[in-house]
Amino acid sequence: MSTGSNGARRIASLMRPSKLDSSVCRSCQESLGRRNYASAAAAAPSETTTTSSPIPSTSSATTPVYTINAGVVLSRPPQITRDLEPFEKAFHFYQKRLNERLALPFTKYFYYKRGTPADVDWKNKIKERRTPARDIGNYNAYDNDAWNDELLLGSKESEPEHLVEALVQDAESTANATSQDTSKKEEIPRPFSRVTEADKKGDHKSLNRLLSRTLYLLVQSKEGYWKFPSLPIEGDETLREAAERTLSQTAGVNMNTWMVGFHPAGHHVYNNRKPHVDQATGAAIHGEKTFFMKTRIMAGQADLSGSAEKLKDFKWLSKDEIPQYVLPQYYSNIKNMLADR
Amino acid sequence: MAVRESSRYLARAVPRAFVPSARQQVFLGRRNVSDEAPSRRLSDQLDELETASSLTTPVPETAAKSFDPVTRAKGRKTQLPRSRYQFRSPKYDRGPLHPHQPPPPSDPSSRLFVPGPFSLPRAQQTYNSTVASDILTLCYVHTPPGFKPPPKAPRLREWDDSSPYHKNRPLRGPRGGDVLRLLRKPIRFNNIPEVERITIHSYVKGAAQENSGWLHVAGMAVQAVSNVRVETFKSKASVATWSIAPGRDTVAVKAEMHGETMYHFLGKLIDVVLPRIKDWPGVKGSSGDSSGNITFGLEPEHVALFPEIEVNYDMYPPKMIPGCHITLHTTAKSDKDARLLLSAMGIPFYGKIVQ
Repeated sequence: MSTGSNGARRIASLMRPSKLDSSVCRSCQESLGRRNYASAAAAAPSETTTTSSPIPSTSSATTPVYTINAGVVLSRPPQITRDLEPFEKAFHFYQKRLNERLALPFTKYFYYKRGTPADVDWKNKIKERRTPARDIGNYNAYDNDAWNDELLLGSKESEPEHLVEALVQDAESTANATSQDTSKKEEIPRPFSRVTEADKKGDHKSLNRLLSRTLYLLVQSKEGYWKFPSLPIEGDETLREAAERTLSQTAGVNMNTWMVGFHPAGHHVYNNRKPHVDQATGAAIHGEKTFFMKTRIMAGQADLSGSAEKLKDFKWLSKDEIPQYVLPQYYSNIKNMLADR
Repeated sequence: MAVRESSRYLARAVPRAFVPSARQQVFLGRRNVSDEAPSRRLSDQLDELETASSLTTPVPETAAKSFDPVTRAKGRKTQLPRSRYQFRSPKYDRGPLHPHQPPPPSDPSSRLFVPGPFSLPRAQQTYNSTVASDILTLCYVHTPPGFKPPPKAPRLREWDDSSPYHKNRPLRGPRGGDVLRLLRKPIRFNNIPEVERITIHSYVKGAAQENSGWLHVAGMAVQAVSNVRVETFKSKASVATWSIAPGRDTVAVKAEMHGETMYHFLGKLIDVVLPRIKDWPGVKGSSGDSSGNITFGLEPEHVALFPEIEVNYDMYPPKMIPGCHITLHTTAKSDKDARLLLSAMGIPFYGKIVQ
């Protein structure tokens, strides 16, 4: 279809009297008024009836006027895996031992050639831990006592820390036993801690805190309320454009972000106690409606120094921490668009 | 603001409490005469219940320390007969009426039991926590209230009854070809595309031309990489230049991964192998079977980059490490959605993206 006919059709749809009520937004009315070739024939008879009916009046006296805000839910996704539940740890460990009982024996000849240092090292290790698997503790699945595969109360074998330590020590001893140079001790680097400096210090402004949770950017307005960054939509910009402008005007441009899609993920309605009159237009504003766009931060950090609203403070919070800061009404509106983890 | 809000809601809620409800308030703890029968007396049943959960009561330290199942078993004067503690599942299924029924496959004593899962893969957690919700937001299509989708022509067309032979004929296929594409429904919370299974397939030409060693090595390599047993396949096509005849030569190995194994493989592929391939542009944008399954190939030197092969690289004859095709089967109904999912998981695409 050429652009010319599309434009002509759009103009025609604007000229056509609206048969919809004013509760439907402008862009939706457009898509409702749009006619396809298939539906054109079916819609034709109804056209004559609607032209005679009066157009519903949309006066500000009957419908309350709200300020439309574009909000930004800026989030940092989880960086590491979550902590396992005690049941999950126990279950995974038990399944590992069951697997050891049911699997075919380890094919040693394929992995270790006879007479090599690796083979000697293997023989020493298998004597010690009785099983080829490095992470199931001291257990031999082909023994007479193989039935004794359950852990006793208080044993540490199923903990991930124990597992990591066992693997690292195994790698270290292999490296030491098979290396030519006996004077130097090999050090295998341990994985980084799951708890960071920012967690220990309780630094809520750092993006390095709570690595296994999603963090959300909350700002404190000059009245002291915590909320997601939001600003009123200006002119006829789209929600997405307004959200991008909001982000740059409140949290600064020193961030690499990605806005997810063009549709809001949630909304919050705030009603004023009494409608207050807008100075510029003279309309009575009944409250504000905020539509939140979902955004991911890739790099950078928020910076409130150039914020238009004179914001006081910002924090990166997980879903569990947000209710301590925001109002209960606000939280009940936003909680369903926040990720559990 | 909070004070104002609560007072407003209180003012609304208070009169509501005094409005007579249309539904009568019914006392739900209804009692019947039959409840008074001694077999159903509620108080007797409640007496049998323990007041505290066994999980909450702490185990005394001495009891935990002194519990040693091995010494206790060895200390028995007479050993129990095997049949007292070991259940053996029947070897053959003798039908539903036979008194000796096998346990369900989830039971460890079943012959069909497969242990697992052993971990919660990182790629799976990333999908659940980040990718799935992002795809749902990205693919949202707003339909205003009162919107009716325009009627579509039927996928299978009627015959026009111009000939008497059209009677009782099956419907005609779609215009422009016989392929009936998958129906793509709008993506909602319950049909977010996800990776369903991954297949590694390797066609070993040397297996037919030279000796079966090629096939053995290829099988070992694919098995090591995928953590599942491989299947072998005979050639279907005849390739005269390679002297391959259909049905005679075993030329291919395939491994199919699901669930935990699949996500571990995907994580390894995305984070370890693909970034180390030199000058690799990515997966071709036109790849895909137009129903949400994306395939790409790896050269032998790329397969050697898998950590499982790298640790004992010397054990594989260097020329015999196979290349392979990797197919990512997703639940997406179109290639566009599948590419969206896979690029969110971290697989790069290049070239013209064909939708």
